[in-house]
Amino acid sequence: MVEARAGIPYVRLIRTYGTVAAGILIILAFSLLSPDSFATIDNAINISRQISFLVIIALGATLVMAVGEFDLSVGAVASFGGVFAAQMAVSGYPIWLTFLAPMAAAFIIGFVNGWIVTRFRVLSFITTLAMGTILGGINFRLTGGATVFENIPDGFRYLGQSEWMGIPVLSFIMLFVTLIFWYVMSHMPFGRKLYAIGGNESASRVAGVRVAFNKNMAFALCAMLAALTGILMASRLGSAHPTGGDGLFLSAYAAAFLGMTSFKEGVPNIWGTFVGAAIIGILANGLTILEVPTFMQDVITGCIVIAAVLMQKLGRGKS
Amino acid sequence: MTLLKVEGLNKVFGQHYALSGVGLEVKPGEVHALVGENGAGKSTFIKIMTGVYTLDAGTIQWKGAKVDIPDPVASRRLGINVVHQDRHLVPSFTGYENLFLGLDYPANQARIGVNWKAMKQQAEKLRNDLGVDIDLNKTADRMFPPEKTMLEILRAMMLECQLLILDEPTASLTDQEAEKLFALIKRLTEQGTAILYVSHRMDEIFRLSDRITVFRNGQRVATVNTSETDKDGLVRLMSNAEVKKSQKRTGISATEENVLELKGLSTKDGKVKEVSLSVRKGEIVGIFGLAGAGRTELLETIYGLREPAGGSIQLAGRRVAAPTPKRSLENGVVLIPEERKRDALILGMSIRENMTLPVLKRFSGLLKLRSRAERTEVNAWMQEMNVKAAGSEQMIGQLSGGNQQKVVFAKALLSNPVLFLCDEPTQAVDVMTREEIHRLLKAQADKGCGVLFVSSDLQEVLDISDRLYVLHDSHFVAELDNDGVTSEQVLGYCYSHGKGSEHHG
Repeated sequence: MVEARAGIPYVRLIRTYGTVAAGILIILAFSLLSPDSFATIDNAINISRQISFLVIIALGATLVMAVGEFDLSVGAVASFGGVFAAQMAVSGYPIWLTFLAPMAAAFIIGFVNGWIVTRFRVLSFITTLAMGTILGGINFRLTGGATVFENIPDGFRYLGQSEWMGIPVLSFIMLFVTLIFWYVMSHMPFGRKLYAIGGNESASRVAGVRVAFNKNMAFALCAMLAALTGILMASRLGSAHPTGGDGLFLSAYAAAFLGMTSFKEGVPNIWGTFVGAAIIGILANGLTILEVPTFMQDVITGCIVIAAVLMQKLGRGKS
Repeated sequence: MTLLKVEGLNKVFGQHYALSGVGLEVKPGEVHALVGENGAGKSTFIKIMTGVYTLDAGTIQWKGAKVDIPDPVASRRLGINVVHQDRHLVPSFTGYENLFLGLDYPANQARIGVNWKAMKQQAEKLRNDLGVDIDLNKTADRMFPPEKTMLEILRAMMLECQLLILDEPTASLTDQEAEKLFALIKRLTEQGTAILYVSHRMDEIFRLSDRITVFRNGQRVATVNTSETDKDGLVRLMSNAEVKKSQKRTGISATEENVLELKGLSTKDGKVKEVSLSVRKGEIVGIFGLAGAGRTELLETIYGLREPAGGSIQLAGRRVAAPTPKRSLENGVVLIPEERKRDALILGMSIRENMTLPVLKRFSGLLKLRSRAERTEVNAWMQEMNVKAAGSEQMIGQLSGGNQQKVVFAKALLSNPVLFLCDEPTQAVDVMTREEIHRLLKAQADKGCGVLFVSSDLQEVLDISDRLYVLHDSHFVAELDNDGVTSEQVLGYCYSHGKGSEHHG
């Protein structure tokens, strides 16, 4: 495939692995600037925990982007998952149910998102924006606007707060979810169909792919992962706020867009998103260690996303 | 005096001459009809005159002076305007606003805003001068087809227009509506505006035009005075002069059972009306019709991309109530779409991924795709179909049109088809591939498949099919056993069913 493609090899290399290389450069730079605090095993483990939420929610966004749509409700769904699970835990439901029930609810919410988009041909932008607003309201109703934190059982905090072999369980979950979705997207017919739909919806339909159903599933899985993110956050913090997951929404898409610039040219992909989320997480971690103010961190992260996307356009020629 | 004089016009696409050595003269105030089969070069000619395409050779003289038309603005500045078959109006704009699209709006006193009053006056004056009776306060999406046509003509006349090109202007109009258009054309020509009238409809051409130019295969065959010719003469000029009679493939028995049978098939939008046909095992059935006759729509309805609203579809004697692409593929019905890039290929994917998309099930194990089996099968088909590529992992977008089409056929063959629905399968492929595709379809027919073959190229339809149907305005007007049929006969069927036989609902 590489041999067959026309064009200057090194330009292609930059386009495919430029983002990964940039990530390594960032790590090197922080390591030089702060060898004692940044470049330590402890901090690496810390980063792996910090990015776990972003990775999982961004993977969901990646699925929806793979079919050529957007889900702007992921932040609200994450908040929803968090408060729903926390409320259930407080009410004394079994811990496994406090995880599964919100995820199932989110799955249905996502499927409805997809159904509105595919059945009535409403832009996914509008549909999911509205759904996010609805959920925002529901989240406040569920909590009365307050943070849920009293009487949360210890069992609910287990996944978020404990460690196996000195490594946070959250990091294992992140890796596990990434591997599963990498497998789904690269080695299962479902993943192939999602990419086909994103590549050319009309041709996919002619080829017998059930476009609407598969799109709905992408939305459903996306929402499910968003809810999982929210639940894990609640488990980590031992509390849930009605807008707790909202802030992840922009970072999730930043990660997914960064991811599109790696490995597969211009195509949303699982490992790319993982790398994208990792870069954003590492930046946040390193800049905090260097005591760069938060507003500057946002500016830098934004600039890096733009730079990565521009770099990918580099040498692509016309159209 | 001539208004427009074109000489030696050439336009090449790749190695194909869309126009070669075309000359044409238009006089002020005349209605000059331009006729020819699909692909004869009419559209290309219009696009050159309106600055959409640049010419490769030849000269254009406008009122005796040599001119260049590098872009649409230059064309409009000369006084050439076109009203296309498909509408170019902004649906949410009123008639007034549409008229002023692309023009300078009259400014109000403050020099910032629009002087709506002046704008309306200007538009109303033109409307009155031309005697067009439409309400310009209505938005375009609330106008009926004839009103839209009139509005587009008005817009063309906003600037001083001396040559108005009308491309199939009556395509969406009923008889009474067309009458209004003809009255307007008469008024325009009286003012000295010349009309270049492109149409497939013979009675209109004979009624309106002063002279007729015939294109065939990118060349001008003749320009005749309308009063000195008749319909048959014109059809003869359009079809190939040297009459080539079709020859039937041997060895097909007519008693074979039906692969496909349609009874009174219709769609809601009326693109397919009461179509009945049969395709027998081992038979290649051609469908010929002029552009817009509903050919693509018919195949799409059979395949399940369009919802049927009446009639029945039977596959091998079994009725299919609601076809979907998935069900069609499971039944062995494959579609080779007309728009290859839009409907057949996923350009960002590899040859392998494209080829196996409809049959992924076959390669999925318990959980994962068996990639080795997939690769082996794809490689075998690439060899079988003689696809020239760097390997099964090459991106399909990098292949030539002919090789892409071979992949499309391989993809179809992977579904073990019993019925091929081919929509312009040899469009934009090289001659070699075209031959290969013909051979392939004949071989498949010999193996017992049915083939439904649509092409705008009449000679191709006559070359390949055993039987053919002539489609006109969404329904069949003739069924012909392809034995000794000439292209002149077939075109005769297309043109003899002109406006008079139509009923718009």
